Amino acid sequence: MGALLRSLSDKRIAVVVGSGGVGKTSLSAAIALSRAMDGGRVLVCTIDPARRLASALGLASLGNTEARIPDEAFARAGLAPKGELHAMMLDVKRTWDDLVARHAPDAATRDRILGNRIYQQVSGALAGSQEYMAMEKLYELSTERDYDLIVLDTPPTAHALDFLEAPDRILDFVGNETARKLFAPAIGAGRFGARLVQLGTGYAAKILSRFTGSDVLHDIGEFLGQFQGMYDGFKERASAVRTLLTRPEVGFVLVASPSPLSVDEALYFHDHLRTAGMPIAGSVANRVTPDLWPFPGALPTQEALGDALGPAGDGGGDLPARLHRTLSENQAFAHADARELERLRRGASGAHVAVPQLEGDVHDLSGLAELSRHL
Amino acid sequence: MSGSDLLDRRLVVVTGKGGVGKSTVAAALATLAARRGKRVLVAEVDARERVAPMLGGRPSGPVVRQVLPHVSTVNVDPRHALEEYALMVVKVRAIYQAVFENRVVRFFLRAVPSLAETLMLGKILHEARSESGGKPRWDLVIVDAPATGHAVQLLGVPKALLDTVPAGPLRRDAQWMQALLTDPARTSVVLVSLPEEMPVSETVELDAQVRDILGLPRGPVFVNAMPDARFTPEEQERLRGLTGSEPPVGPAARAAVLQAGRQERAAEQVARLREALGRPLVTLPLLATERWGRRAVERIADAMEGRV
Repeated sequence: MGALLRSLSDKRIAVVVGSGGVGKTSLSAAIALSRAMDGGRVLVCTIDPARRLASALGLASLGNTEARIPDEAFARAGLAPKGELHAMMLDVKRTWDDLVARHAPDAATRDRILGNRIYQQVSGALAGSQEYMAMEKLYELSTERDYDLIVLDTPPTAHALDFLEAPDRILDFVGNETARKLFAPAIGAGRFGARLVQLGTGYAAKILSRFTGSDVLHDIGEFLGQFQGMYDGFKERASAVRTLLTRPEVGFVLVASPSPLSVDEALYFHDHLRTAGMPIAGSVANRVTPDLWPFPGALPTQEALGDALGPAGDGGGDLPARLHRTLSENQAFAHADARELERLRRGASGAHVAVPQLEGDVHDLSGLAELSRHL
Repeated sequence: MSGSDLLDRRLVVVTGKGGVGKSTVAAALATLAARRGKRVLVAEVDARERVAPMLGGRPSGPVVRQVLPHVSTVNVDPRHALEEYALMVVKVRAIYQAVFENRVVRFFLRAVPSLAETLMLGKILHEARSESGGKPRWDLVIVDAPATGHAVQLLGVPKALLDTVPAGPLRRDAQWMQALLTDPARTSVVLVSLPEEMPVSETVELDAQVRDILGLPRGPVFVNAMPDARFTPEEQERLRGLTGSEPPVGPAARAAVLQAGRQERAAEQVARLREALGRPLVTLPLLATERWGRRAVERIADAMEGRV
């Protein structure tokens, strides 16, 4: 077992973070698989819209509920896990709807909110909504299920911090005091019949309606009014999620590719996690080019390669030249990667592992098992 | 579209999975268009700016800035886009400040669904159709769009507004935005992929989303970082037998076997992508460059020459 898996071995929750395209989804599945092999009852939850996890696990699709990876799938990959591996894909809209249903005082309020146009946008498209619901789902799963380990594969955010800040930002919106004051007349006028006339006493509302049309203002007034009664419930819950994420049973895993931008992002995230008091289990540098010339002295010239290959090796005349170029290129990549790796090691706390570029993409259980050997 | 007239569009949107090299393709397309004498604006969307530095300039921030004789860049962010948009409507800065600097209303505006996306897209599309002295201000606006999911969200804004927002100024804006986006004579959405399994799968899905959900005109698909076929099958066979040899041959043979394996898998993925999309791809070479500067971008632009 590698350093990262060791540092996760006493955790109940692993949150895998990093910029897009660094292999978070496969690494999440590999972490989950490894614990399941050792006898744990494990869930891996992805939010990824491209269904990458499903294909890596050999499932046709993943739903909003947990599905157990069948024994046959493991058998086909030559694996015999002592535990269980479950997987699910987060459905953002469904999670919102469930949350509303949980907090709504009665069925009528619930239905009015679910039917509100603003709510539909918020639950479907508002920036940060995915991230917020990922945290919400994590909380629900960790409190209502009895997995030994839950691995959360986080959304590919443009800015990693969105993930940490999303709940506050969204709650600021649904429960904004000042906005509520602006709309007080509409809210006071009842939940159905609010008109802009009632909102429009303020100069700001008049100007705003020029941007959005008055109906949008009305919808927002109605939405805020309906959410008012539920806000405290939402807020308590979000604060519980935050507290959960600072507990020692949680481990954040930072994933980066060995590129300057990706490492910058990981280090930036690392520092904010630390400030927020969230435990960092370690970091993964993924797809690192192997150093094939770890010797003192310069790379061999093409003449040296030609001499070493002998006359028969001179296929087509320029094989030594092509070999020379290929080795030089490999080393250029390897050195650039090593520099970034070193920066990640110096800047991030916890376990450090480097995963070499593997032969082929990881796209099945045996590939995931191979991947986990590097963690 | 054959791809040969891509740069004659007014608006080219570049998107794809995270980490596939969208900014590189955007910068190379801009370089190519500039070589053809076009005045180009590259717009990044609330990003950590990459295009201007790649072209050898300083980051532009939210205000359009020229980085090369024919190329300007901008990093569109919601707050500045809002200010510009609001000033077009309100006209008087004092009124704008009275209303919009107010924390209440700023909050409120953020709360309007997708308003940030609408404003950023609106700012970009406004640049694409703006004129000065009776001529278009830009011959070409290239959008270095966010990755897959966020790009679909951004580009889907006008349609979503048309579906949900009743008559009013916002709806009118959504109408012209959608008209520009869906016009194949003016707009093209190009996808960037890598010759790897997951990016290819995602590209195929994204292509279908652009076609079926967004209904936008689709341009060429670029496959970035394609390794060249460098060793014949016979050579590979022989080199595989040499990987255990003493240096220098052993390490060189291992590098060659790795390169050949990467190339072979990449070629399989390119074939899969070509078959799934049913149209030609533009492959771009894998460069052994440690730093993505202007020279690397020029080399990618060279590889695009005659193909877009």
